[in-house]
Amino acid sequence: MHPTIRLVNRNLTISLNPGFLVWQVIFPIVYIFVAGFAYTALIDSVQLGDVSLDYPAFIASGMIGFNIMNSTLVSGIIIWNDRRHGMFEQILVGPFKRSHYILSNVYTIAIVGLISAALITSIGYPLLFKSVQFNLLTIPFLIFASIVGSILFGSIASIISTRLRSSEGFNVIINTVFLFFAFVSTAFYPAQGAPEPLATGFYLNPLTYLVDIIRAGIFGTFNEFVMLEMLVLVSVAAVLFVVAIKLLTKLDL
Amino acid sequence: MSITTRSLYKSYGDLTAVNGIDLDIKPGKVFGFLGPNGAGKSTTIKLLTTLIPPTSGTIEILGINAIKNPLEVRKKIGVVLQQPSYEPNLSVEKSLEKYGMMWNVDKQIRKQRTEELIDVFDLQEIRKKKNEDLSIGQRRRVQVAREFMHEMELLFLDEPTVGLDPSARRSLLDYLKNKAKTGLTIFYTTHVLTEAEYLCDEIAVINKGKILAVDTPEQLKSTFGQEKTIKIHLLERHDKLAQLLLGISGSEVDFNTGTDIIIQSRRAEIVLSQVLSILIENNIAIEDLSAMPTTLEEIFLKMVKDTNAPDN
Repeated sequence: MHPTIRLVNRNLTISLNPGFLVWQVIFPIVYIFVAGFAYTALIDSVQLGDVSLDYPAFIASGMIGFNIMNSTLVSGIIIWNDRRHGMFEQILVGPFKRSHYILSNVYTIAIVGLISAALITSIGYPLLFKSVQFNLLTIPFLIFASIVGSILFGSIASIISTRLRSSEGFNVIINTVFLFFAFVSTAFYPAQGAPEPLATGFYLNPLTYLVDIIRAGIFGTFNEFVMLEMLVLVSVAAVLFVVAIKLLTKLDL
Repeated sequence: MSITTRSLYKSYGDLTAVNGIDLDIKPGKVFGFLGPNGAGKSTTIKLLTTLIPPTSGTIEILGINAIKNPLEVRKKIGVVLQQPSYEPNLSVEKSLEKYGMMWNVDKQIRKQRTEELIDVFDLQEIRKKKNEDLSIGQRRRVQVAREFMHEMELLFLDEPTVGLDPSARRSLLDYLKNKAKTGLTIFYTTHVLTEAEYLCDEIAVINKGKILAVDTPEQLKSTFGQEKTIKIHLLERHDKLAQLLLGISGSEVDFNTGTDIIIQSRRAEIVLSQVLSILIENNIAIEDLSAMPTTLEEIFLKMVKDTNAPDN
């Protein structure tokens, strides 16, 4: 077995504990089925291009992106835990190169991201069912969003984990950054109608782009703006990925 | 040779952690690397295990150039680093099993070895416990046991007995002794001299990044330990004791109590007879008298003290 695959196996074993899985499923379910229906009284429908969506369908599609982002926290947690508990050095005195370690983290977040997206799509499907516009782009869009989104947010989590040593610092920073990503985005509410500074803030957030792409795939609202969003997302992911790799490569031993 | 280094240097800014080390370690031997804290032991291990590159010099491990082919070296060695390493949420048996998987050990062999090591390292009672719930000593035992999940030709152990109780410590040393008999080369750093004396075929003493001496424990004692130590304990305190013994070189008086005379000399017997004459002349009663050969620990302390002296 290739060294990277062995490390992916190990990463999945240590990160996919029951607590994490429950969190990954319960949290979105609460949002989709509780907040989704509760807010229907306030938000009757959301206009997405030519398509009019009811709020539960809107939030269920948003939760796919949200969950991809959340699941990639795994990457940061693996790196941070490995450094804190001495496994980073131990792996690097074993039959592995640093590139194996880095790649194993990339594959791990891609796998976790894909599984997470598939999971939430399945859970939210009863709500999405009415509005889904299956076409040739639906599955490729979802896979694209899962992989690029995982790499982007995984890189952010990795960058944070390489810069911080204390558990308090790591938790505070990671929670603050991901809280901003989660709630200053179009995952939970549409940009149109929001106050101007907030609407602008939405588009400084990669989760907005990720969610827009997922919705375009599911509801068939693909247009030039979504294409631009895909380009932005890929570019930002590439830059962050390079930075994360550089930091991981230079990580002190 | 299992390990050969020539003019090995490692500097961090102005600090030279490893200062021109030459090593030749034969296969199947247990090589002890002794030094006080901060002497350069762990840095040397990090260099030899390819974790960090040297500033200059050459390293050959098992005939492989470790600077050019670090991965090839790492495939053939085992390393237990000084710092703890563990996966907090895995159980002890899962840790062993996963570590074997990381080393590409066949599933059946992994299972078998896990059971063997749980038995040898007395981990039966904690096998289902998570690493995060273990004591420091238990974690250390798992860390050392884990390294035997895979095959290796050379094992580096950086102070592996830290945190172990005396019985676990002895079990580990005996296990390592037996492993060495099967042909495994062991590079063992410690500052516990009795461990080194018990386990090692050859010992190097390092301080301030430099090797001060390399030899077998017996040869080190015979070369550096020709001094004998004689201790005389007096029945009661004598304030003029130091004054009385002033003319005799090689004797020390414990001034705190005024009741102990310690003689350290290559000619301890002659010094002893001189001291005894003075004590008899002055009617000073002796309660106890003992003679001891110099231990490896005393040699080590003396070497370290000499190199720490301002002239050095």
